[in-house]
Amino acid sequence: MLCSLLDAKSTTAFPIRSQDGATEEQQAQSKKALKKQQKEAEKAARKAEKQAMAASEQQGADEDDFAKERYGVSAMVQSQQKLDRVLVRVQDLSPEKADQLIWLRARIHTSRAKGKQCFLVLRQQQFNVQALVAVGDRASKQMVKFAANITKESIVDVEAVVRKVEQKIESCSQQDVELHIERIFVISQAEARLPLQLEDAVRPDGEGEEEGRATVNQDTRLDNRVIDLRTTTSQAIFRLQSGVCQLFRDTLTKKGFVEIQTPKIISAASEGGANVFTVSYFKTSAYLAQSPQLYKQMCICADFDKVFCVGPVFRAEDSNTHRHLTEFVGLDIEMTFNYHYHEVIESITDTMVQIFKGLRDNFQTEIQTVSKQFPSEPFKFLEPTLRLEYTEGVAMLREAGVEMGDEDDLSTPNEKLLGRLVKEKYDTDFYVLDKYPLAVRPFYTMPDPNNPKYSNSYDMFMRGEEILSGAQRVHDPELLTQRAVHHQIDLEKIKSYIDSFRFGAPPHGGGGIGLERVCMLYLGLHNVRQTSMFPRDPKRLTP
Amino acid sequence: MPMYQVKPTCGDDIKIDLPTCMYKLPHIHAQQGDSRSSEHALQNGEVDPAVSALEARQDEILRKLYELKAAVEGLAKTVTTPDADLDVTVSSSFSSQSSRSIMLEGSTDLDTLLGEDLGALRDIVINANPARPPLTLLVLHSLLSQRYRVLSTVHVHSSVSSVPPQLQSCLGPRHPDSYARHLFQLGFTLIWKDVPKLEMKFSVHNMCPIEGEASVARFLFKLLAPYPSDPAAATLVDSWVDTAFFQLAEGSSKERAAVLRALNSALGRSPWLSGPEFSLADVACYCCVLQSCAASSAPANVQRWMKSCENLGHFSSTKQLLQ
Repeated sequence: MLCSLLDAKSTTAFPIRSQDGATEEQQAQSKKALKKQQKEAEKAARKAEKQAMAASEQQGADEDDFAKERYGVSAMVQSQQKLDRVLVRVQDLSPEKADQLIWLRARIHTSRAKGKQCFLVLRQQQFNVQALVAVGDRASKQMVKFAANITKESIVDVEAVVRKVEQKIESCSQQDVELHIERIFVISQAEARLPLQLEDAVRPDGEGEEEGRATVNQDTRLDNRVIDLRTTTSQAIFRLQSGVCQLFRDTLTKKGFVEIQTPKIISAASEGGANVFTVSYFKTSAYLAQSPQLYKQMCICADFDKVFCVGPVFRAEDSNTHRHLTEFVGLDIEMTFNYHYHEVIESITDTMVQIFKGLRDNFQTEIQTVSKQFPSEPFKFLEPTLRLEYTEGVAMLREAGVEMGDEDDLSTPNEKLLGRLVKEKYDTDFYVLDKYPLAVRPFYTMPDPNNPKYSNSYDMFMRGEEILSGAQRVHDPELLTQRAVHHQIDLEKIKSYIDSFRFGAPPHGGGGIGLERVCMLYLGLHNVRQTSMFPRDPKRLTP
Repeated sequence: MPMYQVKPTCGDDIKIDLPTCMYKLPHIHAQQGDSRSSEHALQNGEVDPAVSALEARQDEILRKLYELKAAVEGLAKTVTTPDADLDVTVSSSFSSQSSRSIMLEGSTDLDTLLGEDLGALRDIVINANPARPPLTLLVLHSLLSQRYRVLSTVHVHSSVSSVPPQLQSCLGPRHPDSYARHLFQLGFTLIWKDVPKLEMKFSVHNMCPIEGEASVARFLFKLLAPYPSDPAAATLVDSWVDTAFFQLAEGSSKERAAVLRALNSALGRSPWLSGPEFSLADVACYCCVLQSCAASSAPANVQRWMKSCENLGHFSSTKQLLQ
């Protein structure tokens, strides 16, 4: 028997080891044990024989693969034919579908071959499911080998039977079922070498360092954004971002706002003049809009009453911080009010609260997914939003030991500290600070009627970081001229702006939010680049 | 005066030969000759009435100083640990004030009670669970609004998905000046939040959050009127407050019945629970009777007392909430 085994050139070490063991131990052992050993040796030999048979069979089967039609790399889909095949979504795989034969298109997330079996994890966006190719009457040894060799991230079509599992599969989003693959075809093959591994990219900060596993740094992620965006975390972040936009539009439309589009190439710098990108414009030069402010206000003067716009905003600030981008998406609001600019604050804060509520109620899975990689406390807010006055904020900071003047602007660390103080007392991550000193606001800000040192302006904060800055605007051309002169602004340059208020302008106010910053702070992330799909900063123009 | 007593070292009768080239002066000891007897008396351990008068005056001044110190300490305690009851000394020093206060008209100054105004609105933040609206605090809020300019705001925290409209408007309509926070003396911010126990935050720096409706009620009531001057009366108020929250609001039906009987007999003796004056005891017991739905079956004196409470006009919001 042993001879035949060796002839078959089986490389299994099992029978040889048992033989060695037997000779070694024979001397010291009793008769009974010897018998047992003999039996075991026989058993092992029988097993080896079986394996040898299988091996010889395999040799033969290379020419004769019964499952040839059940796997392969399919021809490039060039829309040759229109199949009526129904593809099931991974997220819909549930125990109700048990024992059904289904078709499915997904990416190979991971694969692990083990003898006659190959375990695959198939992924569709943030959902994944375990699949199994095993040698049997449907799959041949070659098919298993083929499945095991499909590169990670390739896209495959599989036909499989859904099976319930006894034990929950903890590593997959579909925990109660697995797929038993009967056919598998590669639709698009990924290169074998990936610039970054998905599992490394979703590893929580710090965890990798402890276990000596890799984490992916920000630049590698951004250089290979296409793969980075495939991670569950990125998927969740940008789904949530889309939700913010959707909720912003829905809420404002419901409130009677009109969405407008404003030009991004403008002739004059809108705010101050610094921080603008200059672009060549035929024989002259133009600027990229820093904010749609002037156009929003012109729409107000043109009787649109309440407007909002969603669009890119450009800032030529050479600051490489966690929260500055040179291009970001601005969500801007401008509206008329009747008697008090708090009507505007109430409208904006209510919009924000509706967004937060929408996210809390409809995006819980996404929030959980992100917090798995980037743990953070859930975002807390009050309805209606808490409004504090600037002087109160200053008093709170002074009580905490900060030395600052009444009319000083808040520094970033002080903003954060104030955010913590407010959170401690009111337990809210979102609040409004009202009545800023006039000196620290732009020229078009309406001064306070009772105290010329202060103004009708406000900032809104999320987790202690400013997300919106707004004010009642001066709608009187005389006062506007006066304020511009006070700020030493060239009146010629803003002539058209001032002129737009000469033909009757309603009192109005507004503000603008940065979409990326809102998403970052809502999720408690620490870098705005994580919530910008293809971020632009002073050091990055690609991809 | 605590001094050693020493015998005279020499007698008066020593003869000294005096030179004639010097002026003669009258004997200085002999000048006091008329008071010599009293000098003797002092040395015999008796006290000069003038000195004893002085001593008495000093003692009086010291006593007053200690009293003042205790009063100030007591006030500091109400600010830093509002749970601590006022010392007897404090109440006695306030006695003149409280005797003047009829229906909580005593002049309590927010600066002395809550510390100096630093420019920020003194905002009392109360986190309450909408499942258990704090009725006593609503009554106290109404009383506070009568006394001070109170900015009342109601918020809903994100931990609570929805709150019935009557809870959102439980602090009454918005003040017409609410756009300017600096015009107010006191802020009363009620946040409906998913908290296991009612909590109050006032000064996050100097004070830990206060838990429990009874404790917060005591704090708020001290902004309205000092505790009774008499320690026995103060204890009486406290015991009624505890009875209300532990036995009426949370107790079994047996306990409740017992409390109602006790209330009835107490109210048979005086118009209010703690005697001739309306106090926190009345607020707490009224609200807890109302909450335990025992109002209709209450004995006669209790019924009459509840009527008088309602006549004060501060209890209407609680009834609306329970409807």
